Amino acid sequence: MLYTIHFSIGVDVVMTVKDKSKSLLPFLSSPKLLPNESEAEFQAGLQSLLSELDNPSPLTVALVSQLNECLWWIKRHTVDKELLLHEAMARLLSKAGSNWMPSANSKLSVALEHYLEGSEHKDEAVLIEQALTEANLTLSDLRVRAFKDAARHIKMVDDLIHRQHQTIRHLQRSIDSIDYKSRLIKRMDLELAALESKQSVKGALTLDDKPS
Amino acid sequence: MTINHRRNLTNRCNALKSTGPRSTAGKRASSQNSRKHGLNSAPDFESSLEYKALVVLIAEEGFSGFACADIAAGILNYRRVMDAYFDTYTSPEPCDEFLRDVSVKGSIPIFREMLSESGSKPQDVRDMAALFTSMQRQERRKGGPVSRRTADTHKLIRYQRNAIARLSRAVRQG
Repeated sequence: MLYTIHFSIGVDVVMTVKDKSKSLLPFLSSPKLLPNESEAEFQAGLQSLLSELDNPSPLTVALVSQLNECLWWIKRHTVDKELLLHEAMARLLSKAGSNWMPSANSKLSVALEHYLEGSEHKDEAVLIEQALTEANLTLSDLRVRAFKDAARHIKMVDDLIHRQHQTIRHLQRSIDSIDYKSRLIKRMDLELAALESKQSVKGALTLDDKPS
Repeated sequence: MTINHRRNLTNRCNALKSTGPRSTAGKRASSQNSRKHGLNSAPDFESSLEYKALVVLIAEEGFSGFACADIAAGILNYRRVMDAYFDTYTSPEPCDEFLRDVSVKGSIPIFREMLSESGSKPQDVRDMAALFTSMQRQERRKGGPVSRRTADTHKLIRYQRNAIARLSRAVRQG
């Protein structure tokens, strides 16, 4: 559906550049968001990036919307780092417990998640504290061990974040190059206009001189 | 041991004897097993409407015809990669909780009982337990849903790197 919208906008050649920049947004920045994410926040980020540009062209808008998406991915991956730690903590707790039934693993995982967020029920708190006592661990010990346990995946998330930073750098360079190109064209136009006016003045003077 | 647990184990033991799909439909379905994101296939942007519309828009910015084509293809290719990135991130390989949590030691009597029907030797029971242990180790190594989606998404890094390099090169050389 978005493609159709884009096409119908794209072929409308009488639109001004500013209008086209705006009309490209639904296609190029159509956010694919997770259920718990806010579209308003995503769009606000994009608008704040666009507001820093002076009369952006459609291509610049396209690149800026990709840049905004990269920033969004960095946010997601940063949250994932913490989630990986929680996952490893739950795994270690269930491994250390002697009386845990297989079905209790997911229950423990959910309880731990709530416990770490500070939104646990009374029975969940009891469950976690009992598990910690059984494993003979404090919460910080558990976190340290979990970090060691999840190191491989945390390194992967760091790679993903690094990749997004590299992508942002590429996009920034591209935007700079478009900006530079448009300035160069403007400058050349001005120089050409100046030359032409100079030439016409000179021509007029020579014409004035000739009859005499 | 619960009936569900027992049935689950029996199903898995029987599945180990399977030699794959037999019907044409089954074979067709399983032939797509290794296909994940489709980013290795060559895309055909030139015939799409989005491509043509993008070329028109970019041309108005003073780029040459070749540059417009390169930039439009670069943008669509980058979008394709990022869409696959999102899909991979949101639908990781599912966790097999049963295999992850099952006690292989506790399941040995069931293996013994099942295999005794076909007149198997004690070594066969040990082999089956070893196979389950190895499968369980692999399953546990993959971790939970967050670890899985991280590992799956990590595989797409090189596609993103290539796509953004192509797009950036097209814009800067244009």
